[in-house]
Amino acid sequence: MKNHSVRIFLAEDNAADVWLIEEAIRRQSIAFEIDNYTTAADAIEAVVRCGTGESPVPDLILLDYNLPSGHGGDILEAAAENSHISNVPKAILTSFLQPSESKKALELGAACVITKPASLDEFMSEVGGKVAKLLRGDGCAGPR
Amino acid sequence: MEAIAVARPEGEASTAAPERVKLLLVDDDPDNLLALEAVLEPLRQDLLLARSGEDALRLCLDHDFAAILLDVRMPDMDGFETAALIRSRRKSRHTPILFLTAYRSDEQLFRGYDLGAVDFLFKPIVPEILQSKVAVFVELSRNEQLLRRQAEELTRVEQRFRAVLEAAPDAMTITNNAVIELANSRADALFGYSREALIGRDIRELIPDWEAAPAGAPDPGVTEERLRAVRSDGTSFPAQITRSPFRSAGAWLITTAIRDATGQVEAETRIRKINAELERRVAERTAALTYSNDALRQFAWAASHDLQEPIRTVLSYSQWLASSGAEAGGDRRDRMLGVIQDHASRLYQLLGALRQYLQVSESGAVDAARASRTLVDVNAVLTQVTANLQTLIAESGAKLEWDGLPTILGTEILLVQVFQNLIANGIKHRSDRPPVIRVQAEISDGAWIFSVQDNGAGIDPKYFEYVFGVFRRLNRGGGAGMGLAICKAVVERLGGRIWVESSGLGAGSTFRFSVPQRVE
Repeated sequence: MKNHSVRIFLAEDNAADVWLIEEAIRRQSIAFEIDNYTTAADAIEAVVRCGTGESPVPDLILLDYNLPSGHGGDILEAAAENSHISNVPKAILTSFLQPSESKKALELGAACVITKPASLDEFMSEVGGKVAKLLRGDGCAGPR
Repeated sequence: MEAIAVARPEGEASTAAPERVKLLLVDDDPDNLLALEAVLEPLRQDLLLARSGEDALRLCLDHDFAAILLDVRMPDMDGFETAALIRSRRKSRHTPILFLTAYRSDEQLFRGYDLGAVDFLFKPIVPEILQSKVAVFVELSRNEQLLRRQAEELTRVEQRFRAVLEAAPDAMTITNNAVIELANSRADALFGYSREALIGRDIRELIPDWEAAPAGAPDPGVTEERLRAVRSDGTSFPAQITRSPFRSAGAWLITTAIRDATGQVEAETRIRKINAELERRVAERTAALTYSNDALRQFAWAASHDLQEPIRTVLSYSQWLASSGAEAGGDRRDRMLGVIQDHASRLYQLLGALRQYLQVSESGAVDAARASRTLVDVNAVLTQVTANLQTLIAESGAKLEWDGLPTILGTEILLVQVFQNLIANGIKHRSDRPPVIRVQAEISDGAWIFSVQDNGAGIDPKYFEYVFGVFRRLNRGGGAGMGLAICKAVVERLGGRIWVESSGLGAGSTFRFSVPQRVE
């Protein structure tokens, strides 16, 4: 566990989900700050600037898949162009994905696809657990 | 010529017993006649007897003789006179005459040979010599008869063959080494040549791509092919060529049936065209079905996702609210409750938009929309839309401008829906300036093209297609993301299409849609 506060790049348009994600990470006893973008266009604009001096390199990039003006895959594509963040773990967050979309996301550089369960307890352990693993540099494969 | 069956005439020489020939014996002395008859009896031929030149001439009128045995010395008309008269008649001009005489005189011999005698027999007659000489003439006569009969038969066969050739429904030729030897009148007519001009002509002048069978080649069999044929005036036509070769006197003769295939080719072309058209239609229909299936699948995914989201949020937050219990502060609980209420109403809103979309995109609505097409004054449609959007227009300070819009063939309720969605869209996505929405119309290629232009935020060209999908939003407005999807469904129901133009962010957008004025 890192001592300093971690910085999380979050593309998520649903404020209720932002709150749930914050709660899940908090329950992992991780100190964090979130930069939240609510449309794909805003997130793309931000992701290309990471590490250029205009904005810092985040410790983790979490992307909701279905967003206004586009989807998480579009942001991954833009992120791939930015070499400053090539080592930053990236994950797609979604309630569900079509198999083809899931495959595409992994090809575009996502470490994994994290599903948003409907049950609160599952949401906390799934999202919190995987975020913690990703921050430790363990990836997010295998059981949570 | 195996194709032509020829009935063999009765009494055909090769199968029946040899026919008896007639021999004429002429002598004024009955004893001599009796003696001749006795000598010639073993030849088993028909013997006719004459006692004078006159009798002989009379018999020659009625009968053909294989040979005439003629006594030289007779009273009244002697043998030479009789021979001269026999010779003078056409019927008996070539009948062989053997003179019987007791005197060997050179004068007699010369005279006899001058009169066409073929031989002299000297008395007393030696039976064996007489028999063998007469037997030669019997044989000669028989052979002559046989030849004549065969010639007649050949003529008959050829006549039948020509009749068959003439009766054939196609133009026909027989060629030897590509040279036309026989042709029927259909060939004359088909190619526009006289029969004389056709016979002896190289068939490659009529059928340029004709390939002659090489000499000595094995039987190429009957072939059928489609070749170009050329008439005497140089015009050409497609021809169905059937070639049937037969071997004759060491050469391949080729019987060829030639049929003008112009009609057939036209029919084939027509069928090909019809088939191509059918295939095109099937492909089109398949593409439309595939498109519609894909669209339906995409729609189902989008709908299930967007409907699941608020339910998931309501479930999570209600559990969170229940489990947080007393330790959570009142503000926190109120905020959780607020989220639950927001998402429940969002679900309600989404379901409403979805129902509206399904109503216009249902196939039943197509027929209803087509059936209910009437003349609609678009000015009145906009007045209605202004009334419906009264609150939004008042709150935003929007200005709606239109002038001299046409009366078109359409469905009023659907047109209200499209204009209302487009105008509301323009007002919602306004920039800092007060919104100005301008509606115009022009006619182009049999359809009215309407434009709804705003001075709002504008749209990045990469979203020009995206915005017409279901549950698509460009920003975090409270909309269901269904407005333009509904417009698209409605416009397509009216048989038109919809698209958007924008010079980019901040430059405003112009939505255009077409309404065809042809009645299908």
